[in-house]
Amino acid sequence: MASQDIESATTALQVQPDNKARRYDRQLRLWAATGQSALESSRVLVLSGSATSTSILKNLVLPGIGHFTILDHATTSHADAGNNFFLEGFESVGKPRASEAVRLLRELNDSVDGHADTRHLRSVIESDPDWLASFTVVIAHNLDSQILVKLSSLLWEHPSHPTLIVVRSAGFLAEFFIQVHEHTIIESHSETLPSLRIDKPFPALKEHALSLDLASMDPTEHSHIPYVVILVRVLEDWKKSHGGNPPKTYSERQEFKKSVLALKVKPDEENFDEAEAQAYRCWTETTVPPGIASLFDDPAISPEALRESPSSFFHLLAALKKFTEQSETHTLPLTSTLPDMKADTANYIHLQKLYKTRAEEEKHAFKSHLRAPVDDATINLFVKNAHALHVIRGARWDTLDHTSLANALTENPKAACLHLSLSALSAVREQSPGSPISAEALRKQVRTVVGDEVELPECLDDFVGEIVRAPSAELQTTAAFLGGMVAQETIKIITKQYVPVRGYCTIDLIETWTAVIGS
Amino acid sequence: MASVSVNVDGLANSEDWEGRYFHVDQILDRPGPRTDPSFLAGDKVKDFLRNKCKILVIGAGGLGCEILANLALTGFKDIHVIDMDTIDISNLNRQFLFRPADVGKPKAIVAAEYVMKRVRGVKVTPYFGKIQDKDVDYYMQFNLVICGLDSVEARRWINATLVNLVDTENPESLKPLIDGGTEGFKGQARVVLPTITSCYECSLDMLNKPTAFPICTIANTPRLPEHCIEWASVLEWPRIHGEKKLDTDDPEHITWLYAAAAARAKEFNIEGVTYSLTHGVVKSIIPAIASTNAIIAASCCNEAFKIATSSAAYLNNYFMLIGTEGIYSYTFEHEKRKDCPVCGGELLEISISHETTVEQLIEMLTERQTIQIKKPSLTTSTKHIYLQGPPQLEQATRPNLEKKVSELVEEGDPVNVTASTLPFTLELVIKYT
Ligand SMILES: [Zn+2]
Repeated sequence: MASQDIESATTALQVQPDNKARRYDRQLRLWAATGQSALESSRVLVLSGSATSTSILKNLVLPGIGHFTILDHATTSHADAGNNFFLEGFESVGKPRASEAVRLLRELNDSVDGHADTRHLRSVIESDPDWLASFTVVIAHNLDSQILVKLSSLLWEHPSHPTLIVVRSAGFLAEFFIQVHEHTIIESHSETLPSLRIDKPFPALKEHALSLDLASMDPTEHSHIPYVVILVRVLEDWKKSHGGNPPKTYSERQEFKKSVLALKVKPDEENFDEAEAQAYRCWTETTVPPGIASLFDDPAISPEALRESPSSFFHLLAALKKFTEQSETHTLPLTSTLPDMKADTANYIHLQKLYKTRAEEEKHAFKSHLRAPVDDATINLFVKNAHALHVIRGARWDTLDHTSLANALTENPKAACLHLSLSALSAVREQSPGSPISAEALRKQVRTVVGDEVELPECLDDFVGEIVRAPSAELQTTAAFLGGMVAQETIKIITKQYVPVRGYCTIDLIETWTAVIGS
Repeated sequence: MASVSVNVDGLANSEDWEGRYFHVDQILDRPGPRTDPSFLAGDKVKDFLRNKCKILVIGAGGLGCEILANLALTGFKDIHVIDMDTIDISNLNRQFLFRPADVGKPKAIVAAEYVMKRVRGVKVTPYFGKIQDKDVDYYMQFNLVICGLDSVEARRWINATLVNLVDTENPESLKPLIDGGTEGFKGQARVVLPTITSCYECSLDMLNKPTAFPICTIANTPRLPEHCIEWASVLEWPRIHGEKKLDTDDPEHITWLYAAAAARAKEFNIEGVTYSLTHGVVKSIIPAIASTNAIIAASCCNEAFKIATSSAAYLNNYFMLIGTEGIYSYTFEHEKRKDCPVCGGELLEISISHETTVEQLIEMLTERQTIQIKKPSLTTSTKHIYLQGPPQLEQATRPNLEKKVSELVEEGDPVNVTASTLPFTLELVIKYT
């Protein structure tokens, strides 16, 4: 291609990204324009203008959520001014904490709308519950138990109400919990790749593989056959002499691999080495992955439920179930994405075309089962990600029952004790507001929660002791750590991409670990 | 109210108003159940943290901005920061100390000014330049070093420098190195006690190997859009533009590459070349978001705080986080490698056959995950085996490339490997099999 052609093509293309695309480039590579537009239409409410709250918000304002509100009636104290980057030090003392924080947070991103509300949460819950329900996500940091119970019940009342994230911290210790009703994920960005169905080749692929005359082929051409084609061919030949079965035993599998390598006409044919390395695909049966099969039992796809359901996800899921039942291979629709492999351009592109054509056909078959109007872009995404869909049905905050607690205490005693200690702190505060926190009171509270029969691990004293040391300390580093974690999960909830954490995520910043319990 | 800020009950610094350190002092005034007995609760530790401790932050980018703000609020008051970059618009989605009006200005300087303006009484000394500009005396002045870099090369350099700084006679020469790194929803933070615990070089094999496309694929048999983009940048750009250097930050250049790659893709029926992909491939862009940086930077600063104050045990020694599917993290002790070329005592052994040529050995070295070098030069104590430069020496040693290593080096004879990207000389012992 001549250089002037490129120059003219360059001028013809109006391709350079605009300022917004350039600003968000590094995150668009993670959640694309769909994720970004979900963020931009989201509204986040944060209860209190603590250092943790502003740290969370910073990580949401920067990537560009639509709107945030800080609800906080407090005025900035000397202590606040010392640990919060979104207050102007001593100059903010005595001013409303919410307004100061909102002003400084808004400086981070012109396109984000922010609002300070200085009402008391207690009165808002009573007088303006609809306003609370109008947000996408509500985040509560170190809220008193009593009011938290009210808030969580209110937001749990209806499936359309916002997700609530409950965050607690003291000193080096922290935890959070996401109260989400129902959360469906198409783009989980799973690292597991969909099956290429080498064990159940579609007709055009099988035909192509069988049509190759390996023996008399030009040697260069021979070294460019993609491994997928080699394996389909060798497997078909194998099945003919083994009663239609793939290699089953260890020795059969070794024999199969040898027969792949035996086809080499030159020792340096890397495509055959690749075929040998990928040979396991021949005896790994392609089925509906267990995670997806279990979704097929979901009550939300019963005909009755679907009749009422406005959710395109469940209509798509129902169609997927039908598709797999009726497909000859009882598999998910074929992937149209071929990974890279040793081959020349012609062989690779030809194989890619076979996959694309077939994938398109199966997508059509899938669409024929769809009983509700869904846009093509969503259908494409759904089919592409059919092997990695998720449905999360969350729990209400504070429902770690005795069984879950007992399990957590055996499986992860440290995380369980951390959780129990932070919960106890909150309860003890409630029982005797203003009085000093004692280890005895915390231990007594933990005992009340777990019951008399349960044996408590020794490490409980480590966490209780750490809380007694710093019951009201909001360390900058703990706040920043939580700020990252909670914002990350909020982004997952809003974009419906990637998979949010389930259960309590506990954090110990002494030994520096995180652990999830009660999931 | 102003009187409160001045009468700071005995504290020397007038910036410190009463209650400023209400939160962190709860930790510093008394030990916790797991705190080491060496912890000097109260004024002593506060005095060290706020008046004596000197900390160096390397990098004022995604992690660096977070690190500087955290350190300042935690009570570190003498902070130095080095960064050689200037601010780009694509930094603004996470590097929160910068505004659109700052684009083009040096990161270290803008970040330092911002932190000093927001957190009064903190001194942040910026240096706009390379870490390699500074000598041993410069690094000796710090108590701690935190690294928030995206460059493997720079990390290897600072790691090797701090390991070499250690003088067993002088305990002050041991500078704990805290290193953080992120990629998308993933990240890691670690603590390195040079010569004592596993160093950055010890764990080089944990890095993802950068994807390299064979030149013959790019030139003759492209299959992926990436192959077409590599063709445009590696082969077509120099062919058309000669000596003119490709600037991956220049949108005009990227647009030219995009057009060239798109045309080639069309010719080969390959789909998927876009401007964004072109930019990503030629610049090796790593996705980056504020939240992951916040987590990792917080973890780094938390370790710095615990090490500086002894108020709690610190990370031993590696924290890894994967946030794509739920929250998965793994804290473990990465072990020191005995044959680590930087901190290990033993020589690195490499087994080759008698037939292996010098060129093949060089290829082995460049592909090896634990070494990761480009264009190495090889010498022994008595002769040059192959030198990448200067040109006369390269020419003189070039005939050796085809010779067998066994003709030039006796078994057990140490071979010195150097490369411009390697901040130390790697000593190898060859074994013939
Ligand atoms: Zn080492």
